[in-house]
Amino acid sequence: MGVIETNSLTKTYDGKGGISDVTLSIEEGIVYGFLGPNGSGKSTFVRTLLGLLVPTSGEGFILGEPIGTTKSREQVGYLPELFRYPNWMTGKQLLESHADLCKIPARQQNKRIQEVVDLVGMTGREKGKISGFSKGMSQRIGIACAILNDPKVIFLDEPTSALDPIGRKDVRDLMAYLRDQGKTVFLNSHLLHEVESLCNYVSIVHQGEMIAQGPWRELMMTEARVEIVTAGSIAAPFPAFVTSYQKGKEQEGRMRWVLELENETDIPKILHYLSSKQIDVFEVKPNTPHLEDVFLHWVNQKKESAYVDNQ
Amino acid sequence: MWTISKLTFKEIISKRIFLITIIMTLVFLTLYGTAIYFAGREGAEVEDAVQGTELILMQQFVSSQLLGVGLYFSSFITALLAIMSSVSAISGEVSSHQIDTWLMRPISRSQFVLGKFFGLALLMIAYAVALFFSIIFLHQGIGVEWMSLDIEPIQMIKAVSVFAIQPFVLIAFGILLSTRMTTLNAGIVAIILYGAAFIGGFIEQFGAVVEKASLVNIGIIMSLVFPIDSMYRKMTVLLFDSANDPLSLAQGGMFTSVSTPGNIMVWYAVLYGIVAVLFSIYSFKKRDV
Repeated sequence: MGVIETNSLTKTYDGKGGISDVTLSIEEGIVYGFLGPNGSGKSTFVRTLLGLLVPTSGEGFILGEPIGTTKSREQVGYLPELFRYPNWMTGKQLLESHADLCKIPARQQNKRIQEVVDLVGMTGREKGKISGFSKGMSQRIGIACAILNDPKVIFLDEPTSALDPIGRKDVRDLMAYLRDQGKTVFLNSHLLHEVESLCNYVSIVHQGEMIAQGPWRELMMTEARVEIVTAGSIAAPFPAFVTSYQKGKEQEGRMRWVLELENETDIPKILHYLSSKQIDVFEVKPNTPHLEDVFLHWVNQKKESAYVDNQ
Repeated sequence: MWTISKLTFKEIISKRIFLITIIMTLVFLTLYGTAIYFAGREGAEVEDAVQGTELILMQQFVSSQLLGVGLYFSSFITALLAIMSSVSAISGEVSSHQIDTWLMRPISRSQFVLGKFFGLALLMIAYAVALFFSIIFLHQGIGVEWMSLDIEPIQMIKAVSVFAIQPFVLIAFGILLSTRMTTLNAGIVAIILYGAAFIGGFIEQFGAVVEKASLVNIGIIMSLVFPIDSMYRKMTVLLFDSANDPLSLAQGGMFTSVSTPGNIMVWYAVLYGIVAVLFSIYSFKKRDV
């Protein structure tokens, strides 16, 4: 059984919105990306898993415990997207309260609080009032709260939304650190380039529906892509193994192309082809697909099929 | 649960409104003490003009009325504070999403509701008790001998116990509303019901004076719907009534009681509060936050 399991988990509001029919199984010790545009139901899904929302149908388990039970939340940490903490407290008081709720023994609390404060880069500032914290500092103290109880599963909902580039890198490093510690990080995000290096496994959600899941590099339907720069335009049609192409701008007599090929072994073939046509080639660069490409591919495919259905 | 209670308690204390409340309470007590002092001095001077039973009756009437005024206003501000603090207890945290990080911890919804309830109830009951004794001591101490009423310690204990039921019921009811409504809506409902309960109480007292059963019944029905005014009336009876001194019976008027709520009404109010808390737990258990 996975660390997080859901079976047709659905949360809708009077039959509308929310997220429907999500079935997934997440292994231990990975960073799992739950990706989708704003309003696609990502946060609804996490809040349902954490028992904040009551599921409309389906079931879910965290560490083998049914969602909604207190036991399912014992070894869980969570940073909400809308992180709001009582502004009358200091950062340390907030962490102490959470430590009490997590039943961390009083003797160990100070040590653990100091550890997480150091981990999120808030050393020395935790004694300040939350009302005086910037958004970035609030997000950092929120992350400290999420990892305070040394949880096995950590839900991070847009954890870098309020952070500057340095803060974003810190959080990426922290997620990698947690993964290396054997923790499972469930990452909600629409900042795809940020999660690309961390996540191997993803789910892509769109308009409340999960449209793809799996190792993201395997979700790219195109096997190979290559970027070439040729002298002038290519008049003749490409051979059949070029499944599609995009023509760039012509600059100083040189044309940039992005070709999608059936197979990686077709890259030498395209060079032979251009050479046989006596077209000079200035640059050939295999173009590795990014998570964003995978994401857009699936989202666009979904939109197209919806359009065809409507027609 | 106690962590949530502690947090609720600390939150109220840390807010500026709490400091303002304490300052304004001290201002009220100062004004009341001043008024009692001068009323007592003026009253002593009347002794030369009025004598015998008439003097005793007048002393009892004026004295009980002034104590009634102090306790009535204390009851009023305690009630308002109880309503204002309880109607946002859950709805405020839900709308600000602050509740998310608390509820994702391994605590149940019922523990959260009970934690909120106990935190607020303990604070408001402590405030009500402090205010009650402040008024009593100001009245009995500053009002010199002329103003002093014959009140036994046991009467005070009985009266303050019933006085403390008011914030208990109001907080339980406010939290119940807070589990289902926005802060504003819950506040409006609670204040209207509170107002209706007091008007019902006056109608009942007036009905008792003019001996109109229908008016008394209206008051009783209102007390059953929202048992707040009846607790104030019961408190005045317990405080002013004395078997040893028939003249120290409540003397009538706006702030004392002619139509007396029975002991069963006290138990009804306590049960009302407990049921409201249980409904709060039930209501909050199955709702999205």
